[in-house]
Amino acid sequence: MKKEAAITVKDLHISYRGIKKFSIKRSLFKKKNSIEIFDAVKGISFEVEKGKILGFIGKNGSGKSTTLRALAGIFSPDKGVIDLHGNSVSLLSIGVGFQPKLTGYENIYLSGMLLGFSEAEIKAKEEEIIKFADIGSFIYKPVKTYSSGMHSKLAFAITAILEADIILIDEVLSVGDAKFKEKSYNKMKELISDENRTVVIVSHSLETIRELCDQVLWLHDGKVKKIGTPEDVIPEYKEFMAQ
Amino acid sequence: MKRFIANIKRYFKYAVYSAKADLKSEVEGSYLNWLWWILDPLCFMLIYIFVASVVFKSSEPYFPVFIFLGLTVWDFFNKTVNASVKIVSVNRGIVTKIYIPKYILILQKTFVNLFKMSISWLLVFGLMLICRVPLSITFLWFFPILIILYLITFGISCILLHYGIFVEDLANVTALSLRFVFYLSGIFYNIGKRVPAPYNKILLRCNPVAFIINSFRNIFLRGKVPSLIMLGGWTFVGIALIALGIHIIHKYENSYAKVI
Repeated sequence: MKKEAAITVKDLHISYRGIKKFSIKRSLFKKKNSIEIFDAVKGISFEVEKGKILGFIGKNGSGKSTTLRALAGIFSPDKGVIDLHGNSVSLLSIGVGFQPKLTGYENIYLSGMLLGFSEAEIKAKEEEIIKFADIGSFIYKPVKTYSSGMHSKLAFAITAILEADIILIDEVLSVGDAKFKEKSYNKMKELISDENRTVVIVSHSLETIRELCDQVLWLHDGKVKKIGTPEDVIPEYKEFMAQ
Repeated sequence: MKRFIANIKRYFKYAVYSAKADLKSEVEGSYLNWLWWILDPLCFMLIYIFVASVVFKSSEPYFPVFIFLGLTVWDFFNKTVNASVKIVSVNRGIVTKIYIPKYILILQKTFVNLFKMSISWLLVFGLMLICRVPLSITFLWFFPILIILYLITFGISCILLHYGIFVEDLANVTALSLRFVFYLSGIFYNIGKRVPAPYNKILLRCNPVAFIINSFRNIFLRGKVPSLIMLGGWTFVGIALIALGIHIIHKYENSYAKVI
């Protein structure tokens, strides 16, 4: 039986060409605006089945984060198609739209609504979020008084507990102190083990990828170098990186 | 169009909630807290009334109301339009991490400024009572004119939002132009009387802010019904500006995150 696909990407191209800022002074005095073309992603295709976990690996600047942001809908592809088959998607990221002067509690609602949840839905999950964030009475204090660790913990708790069908994770597994790291790692596993949830992870930690992912996609210079099971791809990647 | 309505529906609550949060965070931690929402416009009103009625003596009837009404309208327009130029880069934290229709940011800003304007209007009405301005039935035109003000402000802001991203010095240009419009809107003087003959009519018809302020003064202070043709015309222009702005934003908004 063929499984249902959650993400289908076909021939995705993303470039940062042509849309440069210009100032009036510059365009008055310099007739020619040099147009820089930078192709971040050059035609990648892949498909993720529902409930599976895909890991992106590759060196810095190989287009991993750009692809992830395109999946989240922040960028539109210059060419190619991204089909999410109607699933909701959320990019697990640090501190979406936090208002530093407001309390953490109020910011839960603010971020949650930004992610597209209703007030009632957030209310139902509120307790769980506060408990998971584990920052004690600081939840009722303004976010600007938080340490960077607490800030990240709260942000992680919000996105992890308000669950979307597809979760995109960009290197956030290393958040907070050792205890919280373990907790978030376990939560991640729990989220991932849910059969209906599709996850895409970008990470430089091969250990994480090996343990969590069903499938690994190795990006190199904006192209797919190899795609396959972790056992297949990771040794070859390690060898390549050692060169 | 369908997309616009669907987005407004989906994000309306967020815009309201976040506007509330903005308002709250503005006064959070200050001693007088929410009293500032009233104190701020009240102090401005007193300063302007002092300057206007003691320094520049004017024969204009109900001069304090005349001025403060103009300022109320101007503040809403000025604050919203000025903020819209930089609104995407100010909200960088949101825009680079999640998809949000960019005009929702403007919607949120207008809610913040609408709230401030409504307090300012309450002060205007209070001032009208103190100055014993006779009530006439024409004040029912208040809401239609207010809607036109909103439409035009929203439309202009949407268009500036787009260009503000690509043109770095647009903020300076906008601030300058707004200053110019300020003096052309007759906030401290009566355009109809002070500006020589053909130009006053042109100004009152072609400058939307001057037109709106003058209409408000007509209905409150002079008991005159505004011209229906002009009202209709500016409503149409407002809607056209919004349609254009939304169209541009829909077309280009996905590339914004790449630029900022």
